[in-house]
Amino acid sequence: MWEKNPILLLILATGAILVGTLVTMVLPFAWVNTEADRIQSVTPYTALQQEGRDIYIREGCNNCHTQTVRPLVAEVIRYGDYSKSGEFVYDRPFLWGSKRTGPDLARIGGKYPDEWHYKHMASPRSMVPRTNMPAYGWLSKNSLDPQMIERKMNVLGFPYTSEEIKALEGKNEMDAMVAYLQKLGTGIPWRQATTTTIVGDLKNPYTRIGHAAMKPWEEIYTANCAACHGGHMEGDIGPELDVADMDDSDLFEIIYNGVPDDGMPPFSSLGADKVWKLVNFLKDFYTAEEQK
Amino acid sequence: MNQTAYDYDIVKSFVNWSIVWGLVTVLVGVIVSLQMVEPALNFPPYLTFGRLRPIHTNAGIYGWGVGVIFATFLYIVQRLCKTPLWSPKLARFQLWFFNATIIASAITLLLGYTSSKEYHEMEWPIDVMVVILWVAFGLNIIMTIIKRKEEHMYISLWYMMAAIVGVAILYLVNAAAIPVSLFKSYSAYAGTNDANVEWWFGHNAVAMVLTAPPLAMFYYFLPKSTGVPIYSHRMSIIAFWSLIFMYLWTGAHHLLWTPVPDWIQTLAMAFSLMLIAPSWGSVFNGYLSMNGQWHQMRENYLVKFLIIGITFYGLQTLQGPMQAIRTFSAFIHYTDWIPAHIHMGTMGWVSMISFASIYYLVPRIYGKNLYSIPLANLQFWLILTGQLMWSISLWIAGVLQAGMWNAMNPDGSLTYTFMETMVEMYPYWWIRVGGGLIYFAGVVVFIYNLVMTVRQGEPAVTTESAPVAGRA
Amino acid sequence: MDLASMLYLGVTFGLFVVFVLIFMHTYSKKRKEEGEIAKYRMLDDD
Repeated sequence: MWEKNPILLLILATGAILVGTLVTMVLPFAWVNTEADRIQSVTPYTALQQEGRDIYIREGCNNCHTQTVRPLVAEVIRYGDYSKSGEFVYDRPFLWGSKRTGPDLARIGGKYPDEWHYKHMASPRSMVPRTNMPAYGWLSKNSLDPQMIERKMNVLGFPYTSEEIKALEGKNEMDAMVAYLQKLGTGIPWRQATTTTIVGDLKNPYTRIGHAAMKPWEEIYTANCAACHGGHMEGDIGPELDVADMDDSDLFEIIYNGVPDDGMPPFSSLGADKVWKLVNFLKDFYTAEEQK
Repeated sequence: MNQTAYDYDIVKSFVNWSIVWGLVTVLVGVIVSLQMVEPALNFPPYLTFGRLRPIHTNAGIYGWGVGVIFATFLYIVQRLCKTPLWSPKLARFQLWFFNATIIASAITLLLGYTSSKEYHEMEWPIDVMVVILWVAFGLNIIMTIIKRKEEHMYISLWYMMAAIVGVAILYLVNAAAIPVSLFKSYSAYAGTNDANVEWWFGHNAVAMVLTAPPLAMFYYFLPKSTGVPIYSHRMSIIAFWSLIFMYLWTGAHHLLWTPVPDWIQTLAMAFSLMLIAPSWGSVFNGYLSMNGQWHQMRENYLVKFLIIGITFYGLQTLQGPMQAIRTFSAFIHYTDWIPAHIHMGTMGWVSMISFASIYYLVPRIYGKNLYSIPLANLQFWLILTGQLMWSISLWIAGVLQAGMWNAMNPDGSLTYTFMETMVEMYPYWWIRVGGGLIYFAGVVVFIYNLVMTVRQGEPAVTTESAPVAGRA
Repeated sequence: MDLASMLYLGVTFGLFVVFVLIFMHTYSKKRKEEGEIAKYRMLDDD
């Protein structure tokens, strides 16, 4: 039999290999990326976004960042709605990754304003103090090649206009990268769906806590707010935080749910307690310091 | 009694070049591990983590791994078939083309020409080169087997043939892409399909490059080193069919909890658990072959490498299925646990067997005794220590980070921000750098020992049959 | 049980039968020596 016949052995081994291949690799094409998992609101990438995606690939960002949110409690709270198959139909190749040295980026689009990304890419540690992400400011020095990008759009069969291609002149690789990041995960309206509606009255648990007791809370501010609002609330990408007169519950709601249209991300994942601490800290800490 | 003129020159060349690429792999590994702790060590555009890490993995799998496979298979096939190579010229071409492919891969990856698909990052022109290379290699091996002078086919030949067809199928399907230019292409598959094809490839590259060929080496070099046959040839055959059948179902265990259909994930999980049986079939076959021979663990350094290697294979094939279980994957996936797992397989199993194979080969193909057995023992302890430091620190890191990612407050909010979990990794990443450096030192000792063997080793008095060269 | 389930069960059973056949073939008493000879042959050449 096959024990002494190499040709027969090769054929049988190939057969053994092909059974599992057929069932788990070939057959799924009948179900995946068909009408059944199509999502109407998911659109192809624009020329600028697609180029940004190709730069993301070129720089190997997928070695440290995943792009798929799993349907697990902590993960959905941290990153946003879990990923759906229909969101990836225009992704060639897929970029789900296998290691989260940095955070998942499947839902990064719309979380921060553009300016945050420009600053963060140029100097990650200026925004996130102890990060190990390398700086990518040099991308701004490289201009785009509109002709090549048009060719890519044709190969992919994505719709584009000649104005769109013309607009690429004068843009650089960083612009493309930021455009791509801002597109990620926005194919479905998940942000609107996750905004918490606060019912009942909000009650500040830390009224009149006193300046000294607030000191440890400065860490929460530094870790989560300082990158955009400055080390002393003087404002930077985000506005100066002159909130002393603001109503406690209004301020709570802004921090908790964010202001998506103005680029303020929600901080509900910190939990109500930390958000309340921030409310009190923002309102009183530095004013109290000045009065001392 | 050896009348056959075996072709050893080609084996020598492949041994040399595989070691060169092995050194590159470990060196780049140490560099990227330093970049993880100190981002200022990234020098854009070429020397960044994102571009170097694929060079580390591909030099490891294709330069070192496949290089050793070429060297050992070209040797083993001649001896098991009792006939010279079918075509020494083709093997010579294979050598040059192999190095051309690896160099082209390294350069294009540095330049940022990548498909981004893990363990298959090289762009389409290099895929074409790999296909030519593999055909040249496969044809030579298969033709040599067909014209063999020994009627019986030993199990190593079976694994070799399965690996040849397996890699061919996997690589071709996953390489399918539409070129835009010489150095840019788009995958023929999109999104979820692409993911499923890629991990069908990715996991079975582990089967067909990092499992079947090292098993072929193990089954050959263990009995050759101990001088006693393996425990059971028939058991190795049952394990062979089960292994090559079951592996192909398991790719989606890399995609648990993703949008890939649930039934594929469930099949992958089930088959991963079933795979323990054939994997341990080989482990037991190895252990049982040592019956009455365990004293050789002390006396014969080759046996030490081989048995510790198969032990790591056994551990790897228990840990792997564990990670393939949905609940455990939910906890551990995407953390540093995963690279720890991979490196137990590559540094502990595949490389351990590869070092042993080369230690066996070099004295025989050069006709000289090994320069220093104490140095070989030193290398053994260096690479074992380096690898354990590396893996254990990152298992701990992985569990720690997974715990922090999942920690929640009573009100249902997260206890830690992402950055709070990441900064906890730094101490463990430093330990990894240390482990990498120790492992690197082991490889340097290895190379020194071999160079000295070739230059100053005493001529071996005995014929190749006597395992004297391998005894302490 | 619907048609699909029966099909899956049938395929699974078929594969299991193939496995049993390979096992019986490999471990049949009359093939014992033939099946083990290769492991001795690989040792005695050189």
